[in-house]
Amino acid sequence: MNFAAIGATWRPHVLSILRIVAGLLVLQYGLAKLVGWPAVKMFENLPWLSLFGIAGMFELVGGVLLVLGLFTQPVAFILSGEMAAAYFIEHFPRGFFPVLNHGDLAVALCFLFLYLACAGGGPWSLDAVMRKKG
Amino acid sequence: MEEFCARWHSQFLSILRIMTGLLFLEHGTGKYLGFPHLPSVPPPLSMGGVGGMLELVGGALITLGLFTRPVAFLLSGEMAVAYFYAHAPRAFFPVLNMGEDAVLFCFVFLYIFFAGPGPWSLDAMMKRK
Repeated sequence: MNFAAIGATWRPHVLSILRIVAGLLVLQYGLAKLVGWPAVKMFENLPWLSLFGIAGMFELVGGVLLVLGLFTQPVAFILSGEMAAAYFIEHFPRGFFPVLNHGDLAVALCFLFLYLACAGGGPWSLDAVMRKKG
Repeated sequence: MEEFCARWHSQFLSILRIMTGLLFLEHGTGKYLGFPHLPSVPPPLSMGGVGGMLELVGGALITLGLFTRPVAFLLSGEMAVAYFYAHAPRAFFPVLNMGEDAVLFCFVFLYIFFAGPGPWSLDAMMKRK
């Protein structure tokens, strides 16, 4: 099987799928923190202007924009920074290794968003639709 | 900015691959080599133990960028199984069933399967030779 040929054809579309999935994961955190749905014990009655509340705003707005693929590159860059901050503020003090400090997701998302900031949102995105029209 | 991205985006792909591989590898070494020391380790012939073997070998290969595409394909499938077997029964939303890592790794590996390892990898070195 010629992996490289399959890859060349489908790569941009899979990039869009990856962006949408990562966006949904982040959006879910924003909703849980600020809207209370899905209900997560840890985020009950969270004040909007706390560290977690502000992170939730980034996640809510950034997650929606990523799912839609609107302004993907700047949004991904900002969220990458947010994830780095989340890792060093929330997880890193608990232990050096992500498997022990439960920061795997923050690290993975941080580097994924850094990549998206460079690679863009792929063909299935509002950015691409606007580019075609403009 | 656009020029920078056009020049460097495949290097960023390699960085993403290496970081994802390291995160994966660390779960495997924790389960099999006792480093980092984990509070509980699944027995080798359980679902978690077999998963640990894939994490150990697969994580190392992904980090090095060796046989990247087939390994990424295998690990993407493993993560899908892990999600539906271990996490999905607990709750629908990943934030409640703790399956976010599995979902994210599943799709990152799927993307690496399509995109390849990027220039900073053993695969790319061997191709140059």
